[in-house]
Amino acid sequence: MDLLLAPQIWDNTKLFLDQVVAGVATGSIYGLVALAIVLIYRSTDVINFAQGEMALFVTFVGWSLVQADVDYIFMFILVLALAGALGAFVELTVIRPVENAPVLNIVIVTLGLFTIFNSLALFIWGQGELPKSFPATPIGGELDTFDFELFTLRQHRFAIIIIACGVMMALYFLFNHTKLGLAMRATAHNQVAARLMGINVGRMLMLGWALASMAGAVGGMLVAPIIFLDGTTMFRVILYAFAAAVLGGLDSPPGAIVGGIAIGITDNIVRTFALGPIFIGPDLASAAALLILVAVLLIKPTGLFGHQAVRRV
Amino acid sequence: MPNIIPGIESFTEMLVWAAVAGLAIRFAPIGQPKIRIWVAIAVVLLIVGYMPFEVGTYRTGQLTTIGAWALVALGLNLLTGWSGQISLGHGAFVLIGAYTAAILGDNVEQIGMYVDGGQWPWWLAMLAAGCVSGFVGLLVGIPSLRLTGPYLAVATLALIIAAPSVFEHYDEYTGGRNGLRAPQPGVPGFLDFLGLERSEWFFFLAMFLVILGAAGLWAISNSKWGRAFVAVRESEVAAQAMGVSVARYKVFAFSMSAFYAGVAGALYVFAVSGYVGPQTIAVALSINFLTAIVIGGLGSIMGAIIGGFVVVLLPDVSTDIGSLFLGEQDGARLWPTVYGLILILVMILMPYGMAGFINRLGHTRPGRHLRSLRELPDRISTRMTELRERAAP
Repeated sequence: MDLLLAPQIWDNTKLFLDQVVAGVATGSIYGLVALAIVLIYRSTDVINFAQGEMALFVTFVGWSLVQADVDYIFMFILVLALAGALGAFVELTVIRPVENAPVLNIVIVTLGLFTIFNSLALFIWGQGELPKSFPATPIGGELDTFDFELFTLRQHRFAIIIIACGVMMALYFLFNHTKLGLAMRATAHNQVAARLMGINVGRMLMLGWALASMAGAVGGMLVAPIIFLDGTTMFRVILYAFAAAVLGGLDSPPGAIVGGIAIGITDNIVRTFALGPIFIGPDLASAAALLILVAVLLIKPTGLFGHQAVRRV
Repeated sequence: MPNIIPGIESFTEMLVWAAVAGLAIRFAPIGQPKIRIWVAIAVVLLIVGYMPFEVGTYRTGQLTTIGAWALVALGLNLLTGWSGQISLGHGAFVLIGAYTAAILGDNVEQIGMYVDGGQWPWWLAMLAAGCVSGFVGLLVGIPSLRLTGPYLAVATLALIIAAPSVFEHYDEYTGGRNGLRAPQPGVPGFLDFLGLERSEWFFFLAMFLVILGAAGLWAISNSKWGRAFVAVRESEVAAQAMGVSVARYKVFAFSMSAFYAGVAGALYVFAVSGYVGPQTIAVALSINFLTAIVIGGLGSIMGAIIGGFVVVLLPDVSTDIGSLFLGEQDGARLWPTVYGLILILVMILMPYGMAGFINRLGHTRPGRHLRSLRELPDRISTRMTELRERAAP
């Protein structure tokens, strides 16, 4: 696409708003996976590279359930339960033995998990045709649109925004209004003190992994109708999710969502529009989105909402 | 040519022989430890240097690739192992080096910088690739001063995600999506008397560069610079208090390590692929470099070289193990699972990587373990009586 063909940002308000709202929707998916990364990072200082692939694995299970004529909502709940169990299982069997190892070692362990889940998913579901199509939520299909006064929005994107809001509200309620959430926050804050207060730290970490895995699974099931299910489905998502988590600040759950949405919108706008004489074009869109990430990091090295770690010497 | 030692002709066996011989000499109960280390290195180098004459062109090419990635790992280990900065984006520096080498070696009319009115000689192009990459490393290193740990990791990851599309976009120099061909250098005149084939010459070139790189890293790590890196890694505040300029050393580490990566990229283009395109270095490979040095051993020269082997051979080894347990077909499809399991197991069993494990072997005292095993029944019975007394006062 040439500069002459690319729409100018101020000429086409409707297209601009369309792209912004669509960006909010895809950004919410990045945000959900980023939220999963943040939940684990907050309590264990580890970036979980396997987050996306765990989500991919359970989404494939969801696909099998749909093939077996299971109702969408029932399938959704089953997949969430499975994701939770998987997260807890991984924490218990793989992460706990290396808990006290240097952080880089745990990162390598999660990279190992990445390849394991990816290849297992391809081994089990890759025999038939790939990519597989995944159904959209009952709220609306991927191809139908809602026409609002100011913009049009695909129905599935609308569903994404609704569900992402639901997940955030549920997590907010859990962390701020329940005793369990308080215990989890205490564990993330200071493990030794939490243990002294009688909190079962190991169980809280396990629960954190389960919650993160569930948040990632929601992201997986929401992105699958858009870009189909394949071995590489989650790879792009996880890279953007890393960027989102870091942009928002690795220790801030709201930051993850904000970061995801910011990256989603930027990516969409840069892909579509020329800003005056500048048109970067679709092939450099991801580079531009990441450039913004790096620029933000240079001004705020711990992300938008992250806390500067203060260390006593 | 008759085999000197029966059964040694296969690639894996020769590598195992080299490792076993090296370890045996390293831990032999005779002579000075320092001398034994040098002898072990010499023996391993001799065996590996003999390999290209035995294992065929394909395996020799693989060894050359191992050399290129070992060079990247050496540089990355300087950055991560010594100075404590994590980079997931070293593939970007390799890519920069590869493109520089390819442009200077073939497409030089595009930039109009000739040497003797023609293409650059390969060795000069290689050096230039290192310098360009090192300069970009400097430019990246300065802003990276503000970032630490995972933030730096993701920012560098952004580098390798963005780099291919940038190279593809500016296609007047880089050939865009199609990439560039680079001429592969022929055997130089002063080596004619050896009668080397091309693949063998490429292998010895790679081996020479790895030895040079390892020696360079050894010299750096044993100098004032190396101690400064370690001081910065352990505590920036303390290093600053002792008068170490934290910023200068961190940027220097970044630039130096990018230099290594650039030379490795040029080596890859000239000696392995003869081609560079936007997809030459995938994101996964770039992440694999970090995996390699952690598995090999952080802050260890031997660890970095093991890392080169890890990048290239671990997939093969995983496939072999997979086929052993699951049969030929499933093993070939499930090799990443085995690969992941190996990564996890190594990290659980060898927290300081393979090099750390080998070093620890040197500190084990078999006699002490035997003695403590022999004393175990006694210890258990005393403990039992103790517990029994406490239970029934």
